[in-house]
Amino acid sequence: MTEPSLTKDALAALTTGPMLSVALTLGAFIAAQWLFARFRKPLWMPPVLIAAVLLAVVVAVSGLGFERYYTGAAWLTVLLGPTTVALGVPLYQQMHHIRALWKPIVMTLPVAATLAAVYALGIAWLMGATPLVLASLAPKSVTAPIAMGIAEQVGGSISLTLGALLITGVLASLFVDWMAKWLNIKDDRIIGFALGLNGHAIGTARAFEISPMAGAFASLGMGLTGVFTALFLPLMWSLS
Amino acid sequence: MVMLRGFLVLVVFFLLGEALRLTAGLPVSGGVLGMIMVTFTLMLRGKVSDELAEASRGLISVLVLLITPGVVGAFFIVDQFSGYWTTVLVALILGTLLSVFTTLLLMKTVAGVVEEGGEHD
Repeated sequence: MTEPSLTKDALAALTTGPMLSVALTLGAFIAAQWLFARFRKPLWMPPVLIAAVLLAVVVAVSGLGFERYYTGAAWLTVLLGPTTVALGVPLYQQMHHIRALWKPIVMTLPVAATLAAVYALGIAWLMGATPLVLASLAPKSVTAPIAMGIAEQVGGSISLTLGALLITGVLASLFVDWMAKWLNIKDDRIIGFALGLNGHAIGTARAFEISPMAGAFASLGMGLTGVFTALFLPLMWSLS
Repeated sequence: MVMLRGFLVLVVFFLLGEALRLTAGLPVSGGVLGMIMVTFTLMLRGKVSDELAEASRGLISVLVLLITPGVVGAFFIVDQFSGYWTTVLVALILGTLLSVFTTLLLMKTVAGVVEEGGEHD
């Protein structure tokens, strides 16, 4: 603090490569896992949210700035593509469970995935949201790489969409837990599917904490919702 | 080396997914297309190699790490949409509550009916 120019130089030197962002993200991830276990795994504060809050504070306070942080962290997020592919493996490994439940899945998916978008859109519309806000909220239950594409196609703001994705993912993890208890659902397959369908990658990460079977059904729910919504929403948008 | 071989398979499927997305002009991400392709390939082969299973498990265990940078961004747009946050929050909270309820209820009802009906097949 006494020599701000020196700190600035040091910061500039450290941020020429991606390693500072990578180290911060890894550190926040590990700290979040520890804190999460420490606080008896609160569902309203999943590890992803703890890590994001820690990082947001560090990025803002250190003067690093989000742009510079994100440029470096892109070295990590590039792995999101192969990781999405990797979700196909538990999907295959649990295929016998999925086969047993394919009829309810096929019957539920189009209705549930449509309503996941329509409920929020209807409420926002009733509250007088602008077309930009509506278009940004539309892909709220879809995994980030697809949601960003949909938001772009229907004329939304990508950053607002990402904010909506975060809130939706956390809420879905929380609500699925409550509602499953309330509706007396103990089937990991149904719980996992609801987590993936409503809560995309955040819900899927939560489902893998429950069991590999819940995780596989979440991957299935997330993948199918992504495909379905990507095809259906832009079409619906162009008609309205 | 074992992990790397599995990782290579995943990256290749991601690239195949991207190629399919670009050539067919599909509005779905290359990752999801790759996921579907890898699942079908494994179904056709009838087994999954240890390398691929190991690499997938490793990547999935750090899924949260990989989505975190994107999530951090949400905190830096709060000002930009200051006028809309009440609407956005109400729509997301109520909308998600309703859609989670609908999904669970639908699955429970339909699965119950199908499983009962299945006994007669």
